[in-house]
Amino acid sequence: MIVLSSVSKWYPNGARPALIDVSVEIGAGEFVFLVGPSGSGKSTLLRLLLREERATSGQVVVAGRDVARIADRRVPQLRRIVGCVFQDFRLLPNRTVAANVAFALDVVGRPRHVVRSVVPEVLELVGLGEKADRYPDELSGGEQQRVAIARAFVGRPRVLLADEPTGNLDPATSIEIMSLLDAVHRAGTTVIMATHNASLVDAMRRRVLELGDGALIRDEADGRYDQTVPQPLSPSATLPPVVPPPLVMLPPAVPAPRGVPAPTALPARPAGQAPDAERSPWATPTRSGPVG
Amino acid sequence: MGDTDAQWPGRLMRPGPLASLLWTGLRRNLAMTGAVIVTVTICLAMLGAGLLLRAQVHTIDGFLLDQIEVVVDLSDGITPAERSALEAEMRRDPLIAGVRYETKKQVYERFRRDFRGSPDVVAGVGPEDLPAALRLTLADPRASRDIAVTYTGLDGVEAVRDQRALLDPLYRFLDAFTVGAFTLAAVQALASFALIYTMIRISAHARRRETAIMKLVGASNATIRAPFVLESAVAGLAGGLLVAGVLVAAKVFLVDGKFARQTMFPLFGWAAVWESAVVVLAAGVLAAAVMASIALRRHLRV
Ligand SMILES: Nc1ncnc2c1ncn2[C@@H]1O[C@H](COP(=O)(O)OP(=O)(O)O)[C@@H](O)[C@H]1O
Ligand SMILES: [Mg+2]
Repeated sequence: MIVLSSVSKWYPNGARPALIDVSVEIGAGEFVFLVGPSGSGKSTLLRLLLREERATSGQVVVAGRDVARIADRRVPQLRRIVGCVFQDFRLLPNRTVAANVAFALDVVGRPRHVVRSVVPEVLELVGLGEKADRYPDELSGGEQQRVAIARAFVGRPRVLLADEPTGNLDPATSIEIMSLLDAVHRAGTTVIMATHNASLVDAMRRRVLELGDGALIRDEADGRYDQTVPQPLSPSATLPPVVPPPLVMLPPAVPAPRGVPAPTALPARPAGQAPDAERSPWATPTRSGPVG
Repeated sequence: MGDTDAQWPGRLMRPGPLASLLWTGLRRNLAMTGAVIVTVTICLAMLGAGLLLRAQVHTIDGFLLDQIEVVVDLSDGITPAERSALEAEMRRDPLIAGVRYETKKQVYERFRRDFRGSPDVVAGVGPEDLPAALRLTLADPRASRDIAVTYTGLDGVEAVRDQRALLDPLYRFLDAFTVGAFTLAAVQALASFALIYTMIRISAHARRRETAIMKLVGASNATIRAPFVLESAVAGLAGGLLVAGVLVAAKVFLVDGKFARQTMFPLFGWAAVWESAVVVLAAGVLAAAVMASIALRRHLRV
């Protein structure tokens, strides 16, 4: 589904590369955690997959297409198969929950009867059927992130990218969002989740890719957030299993099965410090910070 | 897999959601849109005035084409060979549509006809007193001056009488106003562009979240640009409609009312009004849309 070959990324006027010689393959239907300290290149990697940025060297292939060589006017088609959610939700404050989700279908020209039937379904799926007519600022952070996931998922993308989706949420809410992403994954979507949330990664035990200063320093099949056993990056480690790893079943909205995360264990990171936060139109979110 | 693209070709938004985007944009940007409508209206009003003035000049031209001739008086001593050489030259002249020879006798009869109300005048002039003449009908009535210059002083030509020269001041007046109107229209078009440019910048800023999400979920570039271009086109349409109304009102109240009784010339008809209104509307909508597209290149990276 996704193949990166020797990908490097220099931002113009960047002092050092944001990504250095990253090669990795992610199969269809996989669930992958992308970990690493702030500034290690996680968001950059996700932006390359969306063609928000182009690799300086190397090749990025998504769903069989060399992303750098997609014509500008075809980039929207790439973005229809690669959904994305962010730490700061990015909802439209003047639209209801249902209208936010419907917007994603409207702007790609889907017919009205499809929008009318699919939107309530998806809202039901993310557990917001009751709140379809609420406005984003009437919702908790967790609920807003559910709306964002519904919006990303409603077009049935084949890949869902989540860039620190729990970064603004408290531990219990983070678990809910995690279980929702797990459900999206179980529905057949390839999910890549960049995160700082060690307890979630440790509880899920999925494939973990770790970046350090732009280099891929770990690719572990049932990994944890921190590398416990030294495991050198062998050539075979870059080849993922064809079948998805065994599922960890997370019942929705209940504590994680293994190791309920203690709040202190969470790498607390104040909202709005993501490197891309200042550049985005959401620089001043209408509602930010952990909301219960 | 692989069916996604076939399922969703680069379709545009449905009219409903597009209209709602347009509506919220217009409402959010009301003052700016109003300013754009005002400048566009002034610009189009100048354009419309210029078009109607031009129509009026054409109307007068058409009228004069039938009415006014250039008369070339021939000297009594002209030989038949000289006369036919002169006539042949005139027939080759592209500015001249027709040449008619009148003998001294015919000229005298025309004179008696024209002045039959004044027997004293007729009595004082004999059949031999008036020169024979060539009467020229012109391809372009405004070329009479050139013709006078060309044929005055040739062998056998006594004088070239340009009846149309009397109307020169009127033509100069109409021409000056036409040029003035079009110049003002051009200046206003520049002002409109500056305002539309600013409107797009403000609008792009106000819509940046919407635009970001549209990009994120894979809306086509045309879809992302459409609300901006439409916003500007709506302002152009509003200006065009206002001006079309003014043109109709000008025809009803000024042309058909006030001027009709004061002038000896025919005035432009409704066809010219409708033509100008259509041009003004089309120019308003298209120019505003094109200006918005140009501004978008600068303010909206997709
Ligand atoms: N638009 C940009 N221009 C210049 N440098 C950038 C840009 N975006 C990110 N960077 C730099 O690239 C590196 C990786 O950033 P990023 O991918 O955002 O890391 P992460 O998401 O892991 O925190 C950082 O050093 C960051 O400062
Ligand atoms: Mg980041």
